[in-house]
Amino acid sequence: MNKPVLFEKMKSAVIEGNKHEAEFLAQNAVENKMELNEVIEKGYIPGIQKAGDLWESGEYFLPELISSAECMTSAMKILQPELEKAGLSTKSLGKVVIGTIEGDIHDIGKNLVASMLAANGFEITDLGANVKLEKFISKSQEINADFICLSSLLTTTMVGQKKLITMLKDKKLFGHIKVMVGGAPVNSQWARDIGADGYAENAMTAVSAAKKLI
Amino acid sequence: MNSDKIHKLEKFNIKIEDRRIFIRLGYGTSSGNVNDQTKKIVLKAKNKLPSLLQPTAVFKILDYEETNKHPIFKDAKKVALCICTIGIGLEEASSKLLEKNEILDGLILDTLGSEAAEDVARQTDKYIANIAKEMGLWPSKRFSPGYSIWDIQDQAYLFNILPAEDIGVRLTDSFMMVPRKSVSFRINFYEDKNKTSRSFS
Repeated sequence: MNKPVLFEKMKSAVIEGNKHEAEFLAQNAVENKMELNEVIEKGYIPGIQKAGDLWESGEYFLPELISSAECMTSAMKILQPELEKAGLSTKSLGKVVIGTIEGDIHDIGKNLVASMLAANGFEITDLGANVKLEKFISKSQEINADFICLSSLLTTTMVGQKKLITMLKDKKLFGHIKVMVGGAPVNSQWARDIGADGYAENAMTAVSAAKKLI
Repeated sequence: MNSDKIHKLEKFNIKIEDRRIFIRLGYGTSSGNVNDQTKKIVLKAKNKLPSLLQPTAVFKILDYEETNKHPIFKDAKKVALCICTIGIGLEEASSKLLEKNEILDGLILDTLGSEAAEDVARQTDKYIANIAKEMGLWPSKRFSPGYSIWDIQDQAYLFNILPAEDIGVRLTDSFMMVPRKSVSFRINFYEDKNKTSRSFS
């Protein structure tokens, strides 16, 4: 099978949310010693981009988008270790530290954001739920993160988003590490008021918001 | 002195409409938008539910004088305080799916859990409302801490009155309930029907 046909199949597997096919094609690419960065860039990334376009045009809903993200992540789990073995790396759009603020134990929304960002080429360090603000900062410094993504489902914990920005300013890290906020009670006005660099209403807009900040 | 005993409900027939799940997943009200894969996962998750749910509720009915007389209890003759849950099983199963990169399956199971918890609250609400009617009183709608003027910190009051640990629910330092798929609420019982906005059809 020639490369353009194969790339088209990879793209279709991601768009259609066919995880088995996406994994099978990735495994085949490894076994056939294909140039894996090319496989990712010409096969899989166009698939997840198209899924995003379909969501933006209203043709895809959240479940279809998540299926596509799952395919992308599954394929990357096969391709990435092989690239590393060869001493190569995938193109990363940026390092993201993500978590739900201390006091808040809800994490499904944060998980969706992390999944969509990962599928779209960001390197994710997920700190989980109920995370101390200091931990966001220390982890970001440790891995030299580009972004901190803060999720908050409660009005009582969303104030932590503001506090984290103050802490970053105090440590002269604000600006070097961009802050994106989201969560049910959060809106763009709040994000502006606290000086956040970005705001995302949902998992898909998190991807476009993060890309804008690169 | 608290006059009423603690009531515990354990028999629930949980009913979840697909329509509600699809709305929560963002499909809106038209099920024609839902693709076959999503329908299949919803069905698979619904079949798993009986083994994952442990629905229970505890409630107590206090005379107004026995309450802490918070303004939200104003004008009530009696107040029912309640905590209900679907248990931890579903949350654990959903988390495992998410860890395995089965994000959509995990999300759908979580969504079913939210609806199941809501159904337990709905059924308990109905049960309590019937008690109010048997007492010749008019029940209010149910309200939860964190809404309106009832501060989230007042969760502590409910957990002080009710044996939440008996149904496996605990309160975190930030007044969140664990398991997450739990609901706490109060229903005021009024002597005057005009005091309640609940509809009685």
